[in-house]
Amino acid sequence: MKITILYGTETGNAEMLAEDIQSELENDHEVDCLNLSDMGAGDFDPSRFYLLVCSTYGDGELPASAQPFAEAVAAEKPDLSAIKFAIFGLGDSEYEETFNFGPKTLAELMQAQGATQIGERIAHDASGPDMAEDLAFPWAEAVISEAAEAMGEDA
Amino acid sequence: MSTGKIAIVGAGPSGCFLAQSLLKAAPELEVDLIDRLPVPYGLVRYGVAADHQGTKAVARQFARVFDRQGAEFHGNVTLGADVTLEALQGAYDAVVLAAGLSNDRPLDVPGAALPGVWGAGLITRALYDHPDAGTLPDLGPRPLIVGNGNVAIDLLRLLAKQPEELEGSDLGPVATDWLTQSGIEEITITGRSPAAQAKFDTVMIKELAKLSGVTIHVEGAGSSEDAAEAKKIEAVLALNGHATGPRRVTFRFGLAPLAVEGDDHVTGMRFKTDAGEETLPCTSVLTAIGFCADGQLPRDALLARAQDIEAGVLAPGLYATGWFRRGPRGTIPENRADAQALASRILADLTPDPAKPGRAVLADLDARVDYAGWTRIDAHETATAPEGRVRAKIARREEMLRRAREEES
Repeated sequence: MKITILYGTETGNAEMLAEDIQSELENDHEVDCLNLSDMGAGDFDPSRFYLLVCSTYGDGELPASAQPFAEAVAAEKPDLSAIKFAIFGLGDSEYEETFNFGPKTLAELMQAQGATQIGERIAHDASGPDMAEDLAFPWAEAVISEAAEAMGEDA
Repeated sequence: MSTGKIAIVGAGPSGCFLAQSLLKAAPELEVDLIDRLPVPYGLVRYGVAADHQGTKAVARQFARVFDRQGAEFHGNVTLGADVTLEALQGAYDAVVLAAGLSNDRPLDVPGAALPGVWGAGLITRALYDHPDAGTLPDLGPRPLIVGNGNVAIDLLRLLAKQPEELEGSDLGPVATDWLTQSGIEEITITGRSPAAQAKFDTVMIKELAKLSGVTIHVEGAGSSEDAAEAKKIEAVLALNGHATGPRRVTFRFGLAPLAVEGDDHVTGMRFKTDAGEETLPCTSVLTAIGFCADGQLPRDALLARAQDIEAGVLAPGLYATGWFRRGPRGTIPENRADAQALASRILADLTPDPAKPGRAVLADLDARVDYAGWTRIDAHETATAPEGRVRAKIARREEMLRRAREEES
């Protein structure tokens, strides 16, 4: 399957996880990994499955590298009805009131333009005992096989 | 083959992000991170609060800079004492000062030298088991915090916490006992600015709403037409009346320090207010009003004659980044962006001289701790973490050095 991993990062933790997911997947798939700051609102390709990895920063805001993308999507309103994506959030439950607001905002933005979310939005907790990749690798595998079915491809 | 040799002085977040960026763009570079402590990560280990383990997660990125990207760690090496800046400049194609700012900016009012006045950095270093920290002082029942930055809020939160609220932190037994037995009845926190312009992040204020043993009063938060300022005021006001326990916390704003009162010990702090003057009684004063250089490097002189301070260029082949360049402002990600920009500049400037010896200049320093040495310290600290803690930090330098040298059995 052709996959693009898009990450929104502030401290680099989401970038590191995105690169780890790419390494994990690239034996079996054709995988690109791109910072959301380098992604235009009109750059989506329906033949690819999009894996979004996004943190939250400050008081529940999108991380810096995702903000220009979010503004562009909101302004340009691209038709994403043929686009399928899944989303993985990085958060910190110390800040419970805004825990994983960044990825939530991003997912809602994609859906508002008609994109279809595959699977549940998963959230890693930096204050919890798990390593992000230990949650993200099984998540990626699961959403890819679900997407393959939906897109009529072999996972 | 190496395309250049770069020494970074200071293995804190700015230095580590710089090394990460340099090696991402040019993986064959020789990048050495030199630190005066036997352990890396600087502020992440000794400045980020013990109960903010999520923030410390950036250390996982930094570990990869050493174990995957090939940077070398040279710990327990003090610039000036073990190796001079000139020697580094002679040995490397580029030298970067990323030593941070670790000393407390002194409170410049009469009485600031009275016993009972303590810098926030001095207290937090002792709380976080920094090897050069002194012992934790007795604050008495009514400490007063001067300052409204995130460090002031960290200090307030830790002083206000109940023992069970420290679960999951890496706070050591001495600090834990000190907090548990502090006998603190009331904490007052004062800011020079109105709440609207306070330097703390809103999210730091919201976190205080989780405190389980306090009664919070907010006085004089004011109002603002500006949306961001209004949000900040709203967050502070939301704490007013938060009552979960007997320890009183009072927020005061618009108080400009005039003098610390007391004969042989702090008894109060006098402020200038809109209405005139006001003295708040207290048993200790904790100053959290910023940081300055520790004087080990001639920072002022270097910055004064810098070639292009905005770009981080002090002189040909000599650079500065992070707080050392910017001053004590900005969070870890802001300094990441700063380090990334500097990496591009260094790579553009770099003219490698194969005759430069690089890390050979450090070879005779027998007390150096390398990355493998740090991993032994790290493994020991995490393996011996007691119930309710994620790590048992080694506080003494000698023990760090001993653990670092211990061969794995």
